[in-house]
Amino acid sequence: MATIVACYKWVLDEEDLVINPDRSIDVSHARGKISEFDKSAIEATMQVAAQTGDATATLTFGTPDVRKSLKDALSRGPATGYWVGDAAACDADALVTSQVLASAIRTIDGTSLVICAEGASDTYARQIAPRVGALLDWPTVTSVIEMKVEGDSITATRKLDGCLETVTVNRPCVIAVLPAGYEPPIPGLKAVLSAGKKPLHELGIAELGCDPAPAAKVLSSQGFIANRRNVIFVDGDASDKVTSLVSALKKEGMLS
Amino acid sequence: MNEVLIYSDKPSLAAELVGFAREEEHDVTIVTFSPEEASELVGCGASKVVLLDGDSDIPENNARALAGLIDEWGVSLFAVGATPRGRDLAARVAGYLGCGMASDVSAVHLLDGKLSTERLMYGGAMVRSEEFSTPVVVTIPSGRFEAVRGVDSPLETIVIQPDMRVHLVEREPLSQEGADLSCAPRIVSVGMGVSKREDMALIEGLAAALDARIGCTRGIAEERGWVPAEQYVGISGVSVAPDLYLSVGVSGQVQHMVGVRDAKVIVAIDKNEKAPIFREADFGIVGDLYAVVPLLTDALVTAR
Ligand SMILES: Cc1cc2nc3c(=O)[nH]c(=O)nc-3n(C[C@H](O)[C@H](O)[C@H](O)COP(=O)(O)OP(=O)(O)OC[C@H]3O[C@@H](n4cnc5c(N)ncnc54)[C@H](O)[C@@H]3O)c2cc1C
Ligand SMILES: Nc1ncnc2c1ncn2[C@@H]1O[C@H](COP(=O)(O)O)[C@@H](O)[C@H]1O
Repeated sequence: MATIVACYKWVLDEEDLVINPDRSIDVSHARGKISEFDKSAIEATMQVAAQTGDATATLTFGTPDVRKSLKDALSRGPATGYWVGDAAACDADALVTSQVLASAIRTIDGTSLVICAEGASDTYARQIAPRVGALLDWPTVTSVIEMKVEGDSITATRKLDGCLETVTVNRPCVIAVLPAGYEPPIPGLKAVLSAGKKPLHELGIAELGCDPAPAAKVLSSQGFIANRRNVIFVDGDASDKVTSLVSALKKEGMLS
Repeated sequence: MNEVLIYSDKPSLAAELVGFAREEEHDVTIVTFSPEEASELVGCGASKVVLLDGDSDIPENNARALAGLIDEWGVSLFAVGATPRGRDLAARVAGYLGCGMASDVSAVHLLDGKLSTERLMYGGAMVRSEEFSTPVVVTIPSGRFEAVRGVDSPLETIVIQPDMRVHLVEREPLSQEGADLSCAPRIVSVGMGVSKREDMALIEGLAAALDARIGCTRGIAEERGWVPAEQYVGISGVSVAPDLYLSVGVSGQVQHMVGVRDAKVIVAIDKNEKAPIFREADFGIVGDLYAVVPLLTDALVTAR
């Protein structure tokens, strides 16, 4: 039986980042989450497996903390969780990440389809799927909103700038899905409970033979601070608030 | 000498990238896979235009062959227009070359064999500066650099072997019914707080009273399809710079707000006092849009 592997990234929730007045960034309060669009990659994996009867797995590379993500990932359906937890993930760029993922995929028996999301919510680099495809020398199809899989043949619809494109490709291959096509359902209680019992496989960077040295050298990271007036009309009835707003907009010269 | 190599599936964007290379006085070559585009690109000020003749209908299928040429030619920087096709092809080339890549940069400089870049992270909450050694790949969105015109550059044709494992079945143009918001002086933006499609009439009434164009969040365009995709604002949509941006039922997540940073005045209407949009608004009303919008529309009509 072939295996379909969903790749997801465990990222810091951007809403928890604290930007200090000097624009430095405090991440100490930030919780982890499965990158928003990657939930769609997992959902696409489950939908394809429902068509083909293939086995399903998730794969993630992160710091040792990433282990905490597996229960959430597996509650979304996949049968097995593969993970690489290494401090090197802190500095990993797309070069390192794609090498780790491609090497891990080579160790997962019978992998015939790898599904990523369009982009991770921290980097939003949209690099990993085509890079993993290149490293495995598998064909890659990005921007996919719909897939039909019959045996080894996949017919995929891509949403590009100004056109819809239908392509066919044979497995093994890498697919990157857009979230619009694969709205992820919220896992039910039973799924969450059974996720804790699913098999996990930890893989190590060294055992995968990967070089953890990134190509990107980070020079600085600065937070963004909005500089707006924040005049918010909260009290009173709707018509009072509207009157206040209209007079404020008039003063700003916005209504002339 | 092939210091900078340029590709974009949008010829106008390829011309802007030449503008970048010329600004920094690099030698620059454009590659294209289409004879029609090649004849358009010869006037863009590059030293050379190379038509890679591979006979595939899908540009991305040329990535492996192109990576081989980039290696052979000793290219320092492969600069690609940041479109869905461009990002795909660029990342695949970087994968075959095993080199660094910076996506969708907001600033880029190539100096002494080092590429320095700036790009947004966490949907726009952070700006990150990075440095790469060459060879390196970068994708650049349109609007960063001025296209230049030049005397016609020589056109060379090289036959390449594309990767034919992805076959094109059909290509269906999506009607570009959307309005161009990039120059709109006023925008009324609609978010998921508007619950029914019929309620768009309320938003249209408000927009008419302000003589504004309609923008929206990703969900309104991509999930609900109520507004054309060209009109959603944010990191994966368009960036706008109106005098007035008035949002209705938009929570104000960073991925959306990054697209309105250049607006002069931001106004928000939302029922949730804690919605992040109020931290990034100049003026706001906390209230139910179904009560506020009709009153505001009337007041604006009277005020004008
Ligand atoms: C990698 C990535 C890229 C993204 N790119 C973009 C992008 O380019 N553009 C974009 O827009 N989003 C983008 N998003 C999505 C973004 O994170 C938010 O999810 C999205 O902007 C939220 O849209 P919204 O404000 O319409 O909906 P919601 O967040 O659901 O907000 C709805 C708001 O309406 C209010 N509301 C509800 N009912 C009423 C009422 N009766 N009256 C008044 N207010 C009401 C609610 O209080 C709430 O604040 C991206 C996400 C990711 C992960
Ligand atoms: N560390 C990671 N572990 C597993 N999958 C990843 C990782 N980083 C990226 N991906 C996958 O690749 C996609 C694109 O990531 P990016 O190129 O960083 O935007 C993500 O949406 C995930 O599906």
